[in-house]
Amino acid sequence: VSRIQRLRRFARNVLAIAYKEAALLRHDQTVFTSVVVLPIMMTVVMGLGLSFRPQQIRWAVFDQSDDPISRRLIGDLEADSAFLPPIVLTSREAGRERLGAGELNAFVVIPFDFRRSLERGRAEVQVQLDGSDPIMAARIGGYVSQIAAHIVDPRSEATHEPDRLGTRSPPSSPIDLRQQFRFNPTLDDREFYLAALSGFVLTNLCLSFAALGLVAERESGTWEQMLAQPTSPLEVIVGKLVPTVAAGYVGLSVALVAAGLMYGFWPQGNVLVLFAGALPFMLATLGIGVFVSSVARDSAQAVFVAVFFLMPSFVLSGSLLPYELMPHGVREFGGLLPLRWYQIIARRVIDRGAGLTQILVPMGVLLSIFAVMMLAIRARMKPRLG
Amino acid sequence: MSFRRLAVLMLRESRATLRDPFTLAILVLVPLGALLLFSSVMSTEVSGITLGVVDASDSHLSRRLLADLRAPGTFQLRPYPDRASLDRALVGGEIAVAVVLPPDLERDRRRRGRPEVQVLYDGTEVVLAGNSEAALTAIMTATALDPIASASVAPVGAAGGPRSAGIAVVPHVLFNPRLDGVPFMVSGTFGFVMSFLTTLIVAVSIVNERAAGTFEQLQVTPATSIEILLGKVLPLGGVFAVDVLLMMLLAGFLFGVWPAGSGLFFLVVSVFYQLFSLSLGVIISATSTTAAEAVSKTVLLSNPLILLSGFSMPIQNMPAVFQWLAEVVPATHYIRVSRAIYLRGAGPGQVAWELVIIAGMGIALVLLAGRAIGRRT
Repeated sequence: VSRIQRLRRFARNVLAIAYKEAALLRHDQTVFTSVVVLPIMMTVVMGLGLSFRPQQIRWAVFDQSDDPISRRLIGDLEADSAFLPPIVLTSREAGRERLGAGELNAFVVIPFDFRRSLERGRAEVQVQLDGSDPIMAARIGGYVSQIAAHIVDPRSEATHEPDRLGTRSPPSSPIDLRQQFRFNPTLDDREFYLAALSGFVLTNLCLSFAALGLVAERESGTWEQMLAQPTSPLEVIVGKLVPTVAAGYVGLSVALVAAGLMYGFWPQGNVLVLFAGALPFMLATLGIGVFVSSVARDSAQAVFVAVFFLMPSFVLSGSLLPYELMPHGVREFGGLLPLRWYQIIARRVIDRGAGLTQILVPMGVLLSIFAVMMLAIRARMKPRLG
Repeated sequence: MSFRRLAVLMLRESRATLRDPFTLAILVLVPLGALLLFSSVMSTEVSGITLGVVDASDSHLSRRLLADLRAPGTFQLRPYPDRASLDRALVGGEIAVAVVLPPDLERDRRRRGRPEVQVLYDGTEVVLAGNSEAALTAIMTATALDPIASASVAPVGAAGGPRSAGIAVVPHVLFNPRLDGVPFMVSGTFGFVMSFLTTLIVAVSIVNERAAGTFEQLQVTPATSIEILLGKVLPLGGVFAVDVLLMMLLAGFLFGVWPAGSGLFFLVVSVFYQLFSLSLGVIISATSTTAAEAVSKTVLLSNPLILLSGFSMPIQNMPAVFQWLAEVVPATHYIRVSRAIYLRGAGPGQVAWELVIIAGMGIALVLLAGRAIGRRT
């Protein structure tokens, strides 16, 4: 009997605190910003702005051969939507100089004996690439090779443009590679970033609310008032989390709807599964936020720590760049961040339509992060004054 | 402007900064931490990628192919018994790339000369799929052409014949021949630290002084607002100059990434640039009443700006509107200059135009910041 009574009292106290917190949030201007403005802004930037797919490639050509086939190669490159019209140069040095100044991505050099060697069977074209951005350099080199590969093969002449990623390797390859890009056949970057978008929004929202909440109460003296009431610190903290989680769901929905309306990018899987996966993520992030704010001296410190948690989260979680490619050490470090596991959940559900059973492992990891944080907070939050 | 008053203000600011262990820790740890963490995250390699494999052929050729795919520095193989389990793993996200070697691989090779291999990519993992595509094609082509691999099978003309026909594109990568991602990220991290941390520190410091009332005390002294501004900004500028130097040394000794151009020139440009991002912090502080508000404003402002500045994604891939927006962001120009110096060894002449833009934006920001400080008297 006493256990049930204790539980009821706990629930009542939590609800009372949650009510007070919700009233606070309702009057807070920054809530609207983080729940509505930020998701929409990030959707625009991440859907349109970010891409590893080379576009508007600035290139120059030094055509020493100047024959019909070399001109056709240049024409084919120019006709490709990713390439801008080329700058025609008359020496290697000029190209080298422009590459050094960052004006060019690529410099194509066609040798004197281009036509003659091609008639003999094999001609070489040199492409000088600006390697300062390695991913772009590798991709642009690949584009040029693929377009060049189609020149000699009359069969594929007509279809060189859209199918650059191809479903087949060029006919000269000794192995017939039948490639298939699942879930995102055009290798559109947008899907990669939009799937991770809600993680950004939720991390920002949960961390800043939670980190500020407790310190602000301590600074304004209301924390001591609450200690003087029959509520336990745990009840206060759980009560504070409830309205923030609700705000988080609003932010998540705004992000999903914004991506859907703006880019027609709706989740493949069940939205309810995604919502279920978002809960342990929000709890874990909030746990970290509350812990930070229980350690911090003043609100400036709390927000500082939260911000410097936020930034590596974005980069190391695999939201912007695949974590699989990071070296060991950095990769494992990223595993401590809740966002790593949430972006795994989000990609599985949003991109590939996974069900609840396929996201149980990351959910479990997130719950254990939350549990560890709650233990740490409990140890820090023994009722004490001053 | 009195230089004696300015010197006093600067001394005061330096003492206040050095006295606080928390700020000091942030000033040292955040730049070095950012450098350590960000430097290694971009890669064109495939060495960390798990490759799902269904080997239905289990033949000499298939084992040879798998051995080459498993070779050091390439994929980590994970075998699956059949297509169904492979598909489940792809949906579940355990693997992003998979190879299916059909049962008739060896026979296919003998009969047609071109055995068929199926490759499946998770297209949502754009970077993984893109990197793997290039590596897989290269490895498989090399294996199939290797005389040892083809020794056991009937000689076929197809292996050598068609490959030699056509145009071979010989890529020649300048400035970074191994397509290493570390220099790219290192030079970008300077932009991140110099735009974000600087703005944040100065904004919080001024807002805190306002809250404590010491800022108003300064304003009733004979010091002019431009003296107060410089007294705040110059000492912090000095601290960040030390930060830049520390980061350069760390990148050099730990990753072997030294600037290809003049290190001194880079240091001068960095110090020059961050005086202006400090002014931005002053402007933010003028519109905030609490430190928390200042921080969330900085985060809200810098998040999209850092994404737009080309820190991780090339600006030229963005649509036109974003490219114009990116040009307005000072960090874009600073990151461009730091990459030019660090990676391509550019001198002052080659980045003159960017420097003019940074200077122009900077002077405008300093003037605005001077007004912002004066206005709140």
